[in-house]
Amino acid sequence: MKAKTLEEEKTHEVIIGAGIAILLILTVFAIILGVTGYTPSENIRPLAQFYLYYAMNTFKKELWAATPEAVNSMVWDYRGYDTLFETSVFFLAVIGAVSVLRLPGVKDVVSKGILSGRGLSLIVKVITKFIVAFILIVAISIAIHGNLTPGGGFQAGAAVSIASLIGLAAFSRIFLEERHVTTKLMLPIRVLGVVGIGLVALVPAFIALSGILVFAMQNQPKVWAPNFGFPPGFGDFWLSGNQFYYNFFEFLAVGAGFTVIYLMYSIPEYFYKEVLGKK
Amino acid sequence: MTLSQILWIYMYLTLIGLIAVSVYGIVRRPNLLKKIIALSIFGDTANTFIIFIGFRRGAATVPILPTLNPTLEQLIAFKNTAVDPLPQCLVLTAIVINMSVTAFLTALAIQLYRLYGTLDVREAVKLKW
Repeated sequence: MKAKTLEEEKTHEVIIGAGIAILLILTVFAIILGVTGYTPSENIRPLAQFYLYYAMNTFKKELWAATPEAVNSMVWDYRGYDTLFETSVFFLAVIGAVSVLRLPGVKDVVSKGILSGRGLSLIVKVITKFIVAFILIVAISIAIHGNLTPGGGFQAGAAVSIASLIGLAAFSRIFLEERHVTTKLMLPIRVLGVVGIGLVALVPAFIALSGILVFAMQNQPKVWAPNFGFPPGFGDFWLSGNQFYYNFFEFLAVGAGFTVIYLMYSIPEYFYKEVLGKK
Repeated sequence: MTLSQILWIYMYLTLIGLIAVSVYGIVRRPNLLKKIIALSIFGDTANTFIIFIGFRRGAATVPILPTLNPTLEQLIAFKNTAVDPLPQCLVLTAIVINMSVTAFLTALAIQLYRLYGTLDVREAVKLKW
């Protein structure tokens, strides 16, 4: 086959680019003007109105989700399966990243003292310590108030993993390892989070063994299954049924998962060179 | 055509431009790192587009009820003013999944570079695995 000249390749590129652009413009305008009408519309869809109206409807408890936060009611109640399987996608992606970056045959990859005396200045280090503390407090509050205020397990997990990331940037991997933020500890915490989510989702299944009709992932009593429901709260401590537990376990799974990935990224390059060079 | 309508169309055009750039980056750029960057731009643009669909005109409020003991009037007012929470719910999980998939792809790219010394897909296909 004759090799393409530079000019032919350029023409080719321009044609592909123009084609993609025209296709996208037509598709998006069809969506904006045809399917959804003029956006933003004054009224939202009936489905969304249903969720907003019933999420905290104390007058119709066979349809409610016991949470004032409509987004959270969907994430863990009305569309709980969606989130459950997205969590499994996340779990598998982290497993993939960890198994690609693993170092076979090397147990303790970072020995103490190699990087001592290096790092950023004192100002950066002190400020980072404060910021890490603040991030941890905010992340925990996002996680346990996820059923009442904006936030939830996903956001809190992402926030807490950033604390480990700036720890890595301002100090080093050793700083985190001395504070027990190691892959050895984070992997079990992540598994604990995912197993916790699975167990909370399976509580109705255990109840069903006694002969009561319940649905998997059921939170509050439903029309067809009125005999089972998680306690929506204890006095002033509002749990929103099972959503508090889901948010907490998701926080563990996401936070530990991302921390593991960042720790794997931070392994010094010469360890890889040593191990991969021996192959 | 009102000013707000023009601004909305301008925002949609910006999103179309971002999608066009990111699709071009994914399809035509040979460098794997640039492909990953383009992919994450694509994901973020799609998320922004979904959020826009859920917005409502007028006095829109957040989809969070400020009380644990609402009256019927409060619930109806909430239904008539809050923005659509469904796109927010979908985007919330999509962002984290996007981040984890990006982390996985970056891990693959890093390992490819360590083992074979290239991030160019044209070079990588010639390698003997």
